[in-house]
Amino acid sequence: MAAFASTSPSPAISASTWRMESLRAALPALRTSPSAAIGAGLRPRKQAVRLGASASPFLRSSFVSTSSASSSASPSSISSAVSASLAFSYTSSFSVESSFEHRLFGTDVHGRILAMRHGKRIPRLGRPADQRKALLRGLTTQLLKHGRIKTTKPRAKAMRKWVDKMITLAKDGSLHKRRQALGYIYEKHIVHALFAEVPDRYGERPGGYTRIIPTFPRRGDNAPMAYIELV
Amino acid sequence: MSRFVDPLVVGRVIGEVVDLFVPSVAMAVSYGAKDVSNGCHVKPSMAADQPLVRISGRRNDLYTLLMTDPDAPSPSDPNMREYLHWIVMNIPGGTDATKGDVVMPYLGPQPPVGIHRYVLVLFQQKSRIVDGYAAPPADRPYFNTRAFAFNHELGLPVAVVYFNSQREPSGNRRRR
Repeated sequence: MAAFASTSPSPAISASTWRMESLRAALPALRTSPSAAIGAGLRPRKQAVRLGASASPFLRSSFVSTSSASSSASPSSISSAVSASLAFSYTSSFSVESSFEHRLFGTDVHGRILAMRHGKRIPRLGRPADQRKALLRGLTTQLLKHGRIKTTKPRAKAMRKWVDKMITLAKDGSLHKRRQALGYIYEKHIVHALFAEVPDRYGERPGGYTRIIPTFPRRGDNAPMAYIELV
Repeated sequence: MSRFVDPLVVGRVIGEVVDLFVPSVAMAVSYGAKDVSNGCHVKPSMAADQPLVRISGRRNDLYTLLMTDPDAPSPSDPNMREYLHWIVMNIPGGTDATKGDVVMPYLGPQPPVGIHRYVLVLFQQKSRIVDGYAAPPADRPYFNTRAFAFNHELGLPVAVVYFNSQREPSGNRRRR
């Protein structure tokens, strides 16, 4: 509401007494009916997803005020849900930004809005999501092929999860798991060799199929390097 | 980590090649200008000639040095563990490896696939091993350091160092 007050053209109307009806008439028409808004109020997760989809700076202050009100209040209160749905419907009329751009707000499991990275344990490796996936696929393929590779320490630590996943798929050994492994590893002869030898080699070992050994930093950029090897 | 973990344990040299031991002799290995420390990387071209191995110890003691590769032919599938590279016996203490008897001539690292560890193990001999008694192993692959030490009554090693080596890419490859 403060944004509208700052852009108010007429000095005759005092800034403190804005009426909801004049506001609603001035802005574009709502897409959701009040009954649907009340239903949406009982599903806080869906609201939060729509909020995170776009972030217009024009209504940012109103987002923060209404979202904080709705997240702190209980979902059953109708008034906060209606006001929150108003803000959310405003966002729906704006275009959704592309997935590569930085989102202003993320959401947690409960649908609350987060502006920081607290508690998110995915290593981003300085790449967008598709490049990250391709990098990890290539690294696990090379590790399964060579048995020991030398890479930077954050990449080695990020790889562990995927290498363990591949070896777990091979331990199961069924056709469905084989096809899942073929969808991840780039070279199919490596998958077949993996499925052939994993039961002998890792049959008794309950997880932890890799080992990371730090080594000297890289000369060009002093990046901390590490060997990662199959146990 | 606040606790210091022996690099030989971290690199699984103790466990796969030798057993846990107490180092009692100082051994300095160097390929030309490059000194070898645990886990350092040496190119096969630099390691083609035998290294300079200086050991401490009393002049009366005799030592045996051997070099193996526990990751032959590939670290992910080491079915030829271990590949023997070098055996020198009857090295007097306080000198270097050239003063001993060569039982198996030196072969430089030639890793076909992956990054291999090359382990240099030093044992202290109880007595001089005569040539006839020191039967050289028939073949280089399928060597076992523990069995060799047991056969020649060498006991636990007194010094171990290892380095990594990787096949160098051929020179014509276009680099981005």
